[in-house]
Amino acid sequence: MAFFGTVLNTIGALFLTHAIYSAHEHTTAFANTPLPLDITLELLVGVIILSTGIVISADKLKPIQYAKWAGQISQEGRHGEGKYTREGEEILSEGDPYAFLGLDGGIGGKGEGRRGFFDVKGKRKEYDEWVRGKQ
Amino acid sequence: MATANLLAPPSNIAPPAALALSQKAPLILSNPPTSSLPWPLSLLFSRETPESWAIHENLFLSALRTGDEESAAQLLSRLASRFGEHNERIVTLRGIYNEATAQTPASLEKVFEGYEKILREDPTNISIRKRRVAVLKSLGRTSDAVTALTVLLQNSPTDVEAWAEASELYASQAAWGQAIYCAEEVLLFAPTSWSAHAHVATLHSLSASSTSPPSLSGLSLALKHFCRAVELNEGYLRAFYGVKIVASKLLPLLSDTQVSSRKRGEQDDEDVPVPTLASVQKLDEIATKKLGEFIRDFGSRKKGQSGYDEAEIVAAKELLSR
Repeated sequence: MAFFGTVLNTIGALFLTHAIYSAHEHTTAFANTPLPLDITLELLVGVIILSTGIVISADKLKPIQYAKWAGQISQEGRHGEGKYTREGEEILSEGDPYAFLGLDGGIGGKGEGRRGFFDVKGKRKEYDEWVRGKQ
Repeated sequence: MATANLLAPPSNIAPPAALALSQKAPLILSNPPTSSLPWPLSLLFSRETPESWAIHENLFLSALRTGDEESAAQLLSRLASRFGEHNERIVTLRGIYNEATAQTPASLEKVFEGYEKILREDPTNISIRKRRVAVLKSLGRTSDAVTALTVLLQNSPTDVEAWAEASELYASQAAWGQAIYCAEEVLLFAPTSWSAHAHVATLHSLSASSTSPPSLSGLSLALKHFCRAVELNEGYLRAFYGVKIVASKLLPLLSDTQVSSRKRGEQDDEDVPVPTLASVQKLDEIATKKLGEFIRDFGSRKKGQSGYDEAEIVAAKELLSR
């Protein structure tokens, strides 16, 4: 779909440029005659094709209802959209904006907790136990 | 793969994920984002982005948890040379490094005293205050941690992260009243957070179940907050799970009509509306239907494509087959 949008955009831009060039040439050559119909039509067709292309190649709309939007985040999780940082980490789609509260692990759950209160000792112990269990 | 992303680490990093994260250290360390050229040229040839430093910080934390102290030290010195030794955040990261490398409880106490010293010089350093709470917690001195946290909250009552921490600390002590109070403070700052609503609901349900017979008003409040979480997020498995659990506890209480009518008379002054039997039954049905949908949806997606944990789905299946 993105490719189709780009093709339409290119064709539309070409038509539009050509129509504008023709209109300019026409007004310099015959200053006092009205614009011929074919130039007007080409301009209109160019604008319509370009608008269609822009609409088609636009990003998918996000849900405007909070519950639907949040439900989508929960159901689909975070997934990459094909963009990477310089370090090679993929930039993911948006996640739970309140994840920083660390309340999703439940009471006494094994979540990451809150960043400001990061329990480095506990996490290290958990990792050590895992390594020892594997050996 | 989403599980080993340094830019957006998952909300629950299991040891294998931590290992995968910290194994990225050599790659990041071999490509410094800042340029080594002198000043005006370094501005032109710098390749840093805001994401680079988030990645460095996350990598630092996962290197520490997997015991890769060398990489952690290198990352820390790189961060310190970029942001300055006295930057509040760098001071905190250095503190975390010292905590992680402290072998004995005595050396951890030393780190703790270091924090006290920093706070004497600058009592407004909130992140060091938070580290103090974290150290007290990992030393097992939970009541001291609670005291330190209440002092922090008195000085900075809009710190929602600290309120959330206080709520969990109280909950770990089974002090349900205080835990619910702190969780409700969180709700004041983040009223649209579905996880905060589910947290309050869980606390209400736990506190209601701690008495025998379970208190009707507590369970009603739990049901109310779980329903609010569902209202905010229609794909929130935990909330539907909670609705079903609470409903299964409420149904026997409510079906005993004599008790419920008497209770309803009592509850009027406490201002907790008790739901009717029919509406609880309906909510139970909806929750069952939705949980079934989530389980089917999870089964139809490829691995790693779903937002739900496998453990969540297994728990939901187990609840439905009861």
